[in-house]
Amino acid sequence: MSFVTENPRGGCVLSGINSVLAAIDHVCPILHSGPGCCMQTTAAEQGQSGHKHACFVSGVSLPSSNMLEKEVVFGGANKLRTTIQGAIDIIDAQAYFVLTGCTAGIIGDDVQSVVDEFTEKGHKVYAIDTPGFAGDSLLGYETVWNTFIDKVIQPATKKKADLVNIFGIVPYHDPFWAGTLEEIERILNKLGLKVNTFFTKHQGIDVIEHCSEAALNIIINPWLFKGPAEKFEKKFGVPSIRFPFIPVGATDTTRFVREVASSLKLDDALVEKVIKEEEDYVYSYLAQSIGQLSWKRFAVAGDASNAIAITRYLANDYSFSPILVVITENIFRPEDKERIIKEISELEYANPPKIVFASDQWEINKAIREEPEDISLLVGSTNEKEVALEKEIQYLNATFPMNERLVFNRTYSGYRGSLTLTEDLYDNL
Amino acid sequence: MAVQYSGVRESRDGRVNDFGGSSEQAQKKFEGKCLKRADRSFAQGLQCQQINSMACLMSLEDSVFISHSPQGCVGCTIMAVDMFRVGQAHRGEKLIKNPRIIVTNLDQKSVVFGGEQKLRESVRKAVERYNPKLIFVYASCASGIIGDDIDSICQDLGDEYPDTTIVPIHCEGFKSKICASGFDAAFLSINKYILKKEKKETIPNLINLFAPTTVSYADQKEMERMLNLIGAEVNYIPFYSSLEKIKRIPQAAASTSICKVFADEFMKTLEEDYGIPYSHTVMPIGIRNTDKWYRGIAKVIGKEKEVEEIIAKEHERIEPLVAKIRARLEGKRVFICGGTGRSFAAAALIDDFGMKLVGLETPTYDADAQVDVEYLNGIHKDFVIDIANMQPFEQVNLVKKLKPDAFIGVPDWAAKLGIPTTHVLDGKRPTMGYDGLLYLGNKIADQLSNPGFNKKIAEHVKLPYRDSWYEEDAFKYIIGD
Repeated sequence: MSFVTENPRGGCVLSGINSVLAAIDHVCPILHSGPGCCMQTTAAEQGQSGHKHACFVSGVSLPSSNMLEKEVVFGGANKLRTTIQGAIDIIDAQAYFVLTGCTAGIIGDDVQSVVDEFTEKGHKVYAIDTPGFAGDSLLGYETVWNTFIDKVIQPATKKKADLVNIFGIVPYHDPFWAGTLEEIERILNKLGLKVNTFFTKHQGIDVIEHCSEAALNIIINPWLFKGPAEKFEKKFGVPSIRFPFIPVGATDTTRFVREVASSLKLDDALVEKVIKEEEDYVYSYLAQSIGQLSWKRFAVAGDASNAIAITRYLANDYSFSPILVVITENIFRPEDKERIIKEISELEYANPPKIVFASDQWEINKAIREEPEDISLLVGSTNEKEVALEKEIQYLNATFPMNERLVFNRTYSGYRGSLTLTEDLYDNL
Repeated sequence: MAVQYSGVRESRDGRVNDFGGSSEQAQKKFEGKCLKRADRSFAQGLQCQQINSMACLMSLEDSVFISHSPQGCVGCTIMAVDMFRVGQAHRGEKLIKNPRIIVTNLDQKSVVFGGEQKLRESVRKAVERYNPKLIFVYASCASGIIGDDIDSICQDLGDEYPDTTIVPIHCEGFKSKICASGFDAAFLSINKYILKKEKKETIPNLINLFAPTTVSYADQKEMERMLNLIGAEVNYIPFYSSLEKIKRIPQAAASTSICKVFADEFMKTLEEDYGIPYSHTVMPIGIRNTDKWYRGIAKVIGKEKEVEEIIAKEHERIEPLVAKIRARLEGKRVFICGGTGRSFAAAALIDDFGMKLVGLETPTYDADAQVDVEYLNGIHKDFVIDIANMQPFEQVNLVKKLKPDAFIGVPDWAAKLGIPTTHVLDGKRPTMGYDGLLYLGNKIADQLSNPGFNKKIAEHVKLPYRDSWYEEDAFKYIIGD
C-alpha cells in the first residue's frame, strides 16, 4: 500500500533492490523494465546519498531490456533473453539478478522461465519478481534478503561460533552506511567476533552464500527485517537479536556491546576491557572541548533508526534538549511504532520530545514550522534545509536524502562516530 | 493539412538511434537513405523521456509537479532539484526552496483498479497546500499501460479548481527511445493548455530564449549579454521562469534555443501557430558555434550588420587567449560523448583548439546531425561514430582501442581507463559563449597537463567488463542496421 507523497524519500521497491545489490561486490543487476528505470532507480537512492554510487555497475551502465512499445504489446521475453546473454558475455560479475520493472510486471512477462534457461546452463542468474509498484525502497531491502534466503544462501556445513551477520543498515538509503558498518565491525572485532557486513571490504556473493554459518543475526533497526529474520531462523537455524537503532555515542554503543555479548555469552572480562578502552577514547576527546558548542534545543527529522540514535545521543550524552522528532518512513505495524516511541521517550534525564510520524514533506515541514516550542538546531535531510533557512536556525544534514555533503566513510555511529557528529555541530555562534 | 506532431522524435523521417561505424560511412549511408532504424540485442540503461519532461519545468515559479506513477519515477528529479537549489543560490536567493513534487504512488491496487483517485487526491493536496498557478501532471509507463485517462481527469479537475491551470503531459517512458521527446511532450502540452493558439500583440525586440535545466547561471548571463548587445530583450524560458513569462512566448518577435534538441520542435510550432520566426543552428559552445548561433538569431531579427561588428570585437578580445590554450592542446586526440547538442558542439569546439577527433558518441542521427558530420568529416577526415544513448560498454571498448589523449563527456568510465576527462555538461559553471569557451579550454588543458588522479585511479580500479570484451567489435550487439 502506498500513499500520495510530496518529495518522497527514495524510490520504489526496484530502487531499493537495485541499490542494495549495487553495494555487494561484483554483483550485476539486470533490469527488465522501461527505458528510464536504470537511471531513475539509481538516482532515487544512490543519487541522494552523499554523491557516491556503486563502483561496479549503476545508472546507465546497468544492463536493461529498455522495454518500448513493441515489448509492451508483444511481450519482452526475447529482449530479456538477449540482454541476459549479453550481460553474461560482457560483464565480469559473480552473480546476476534480473529485476522486474512496472512494465514487465503489468504485462506479466514470465521472467522466471527466461532466467531458468540460464540457470540450467550453470550461470548464477536469479530472478527477483517484485515489480516497481509493489512498494518503496525499504521493502526492496527486505525483498533482496528474502530472495537470498530462498535462492542464494546455502545450508551451513559447519557453524562458526564467532561469526555474526549485520542487518538493518540499508546501503545508500542510509548515507553513512559504509562508515557505520566499518565502525560496528571494528567494535565487534575487538570482542573477538568476525563480521559479515555484506556491503564493505569487497564482500561478494560467496559471503552471502555462506552466511548461514553465523552464530547470530544482529538487526540494527527498530522495525526492518522482521519477516526475513524469522525465515532465516526457520530455514538455517540462526537466531537473531534486534538492537532498535544505530548506536551513537558511548552510552548506547556500550548498551549495544553488552546486548551482543550477552546473546553470544562472550567473556565478561574482555567485554569490560573493550568498553573501558572505547569509552575512555571518547571521553578523552570530549574532555578537551567542554563548552565549545552552544546549548541547543533541537529537532530531528529522519528515518526511525537514525532519528532515535541522534536524539538519544544529543539528549543523553550531550545534554542538549530534545523538542521534536519526526519519523519520516511509513511505519505500518503498531508494535514497531511503540518500540520507536519507547526509545525516543525513555531518556535518562531529558524530558521526552514530541514525536510525529510523517513521510510527506509538507507534513514534515508543517510539524517543524508549527512547533510552538523554540528550536535552535534542526538535524535532518536535505529536504529540511528549506524550513531551517526559514526559521533561521542551525541545520545539519545527517539523514537521507543527503545532498549537502560528499560522503565516503563518514559515520556518526559507534564510539568514534559520535565524536564526528559532535565536530559537525560546531557552529561558532 | 499537416499532421500534428506527436511529440515522439522517432516519428520524424530518417531519424536513427542505433548505429556504429565510420563517420564517412554514416554520411554516405544517410545521403543514400540507407541508414536504417536498428536496435541493440544487448543494451545498458537509457534515459527515458519522462526524466526530461519533468526536469525542464522543475524551476517554474508557483507550480506543483505531479508524477502519476510509482515512487521510483521521480528518482531523477533529484538532478533537476539540485540544479534548482544551486541555481537559486547563484541567483542570490537566501531562502532556497524545494520544488513541489508530488508522486501519486501507483501501487498494486491502482494497477488493478486504476489510479484516478490517487491523482485526484494529489491535485487536491497541491491546491490546498500551495494554491499554485500551474499543476503539471506527468504520465508514466505504469499509468499509460493501465490506461488512466489523465486528460479527462485533468479537465474535470480544472473545472473544480478554476484558479489553477492543470496541464497533463504525455511522457510515458515506453513511447520513445529518444529522451529529447520528453521536451517535446512538455511543450506540446504548454501550447495546448496554456498558450491555446491565442495570438497576442508582438513586442518588437522580445526574443524567446529556450533553456533547459542544465544551463548554468553564468551561461544564462553570457547568452543574455550577447542578445542584449544586438538590442534584444530576452524572455528566458522555461528554466527559472513563470506562468507570466510563458504567456509572453507568443508576443516575441523571434525565438532561439541554447540547446539544439531543446524546443527545436516547439519553435517550429510557434512559427506555424503564432507566426514567430526562429533560429535553429547549433549550441553556442566554441568560437565557430558561438558565431553561428549568434549570426543565426541576429539574422532573424535583422541585425546582421550589428552582429558582425560585435563578433569581430569579441574575436579580437578572445582570439589571443584561445591561441594560448591552442598551444597547449594542438594535435591532441579526443573522444567525445554527450547529448546530441553538446556532442556536436564539443566536436566543433576542439577545432578551435586544433585537437583531432577520433571518436564521437551521440544519441541520434538525423538531417541535423548530417550537417554536423559533413562539417566534421571535412576537418577530421574519418572518425568513429557511435549512435547510442550512452551505452558505456561500447565507449570503453572504443576508447581502449583508439587510445585518445582526452575524453570529453561523462567522466566516470573513461577516468577508470586512466584518460584525462572533461565534462561539457556542467550546469553549475560556464560552458557557453565566448567567455565559456575560455573556461572550458583551460579546464581541458589543465586536465591534460595534470592527469594524476585518473592515472592513479586506473591503477587501482577495474571497470566491470571482461577482458575479452575489449577484443570484440564494439558494435557487435547492433542488429538490423
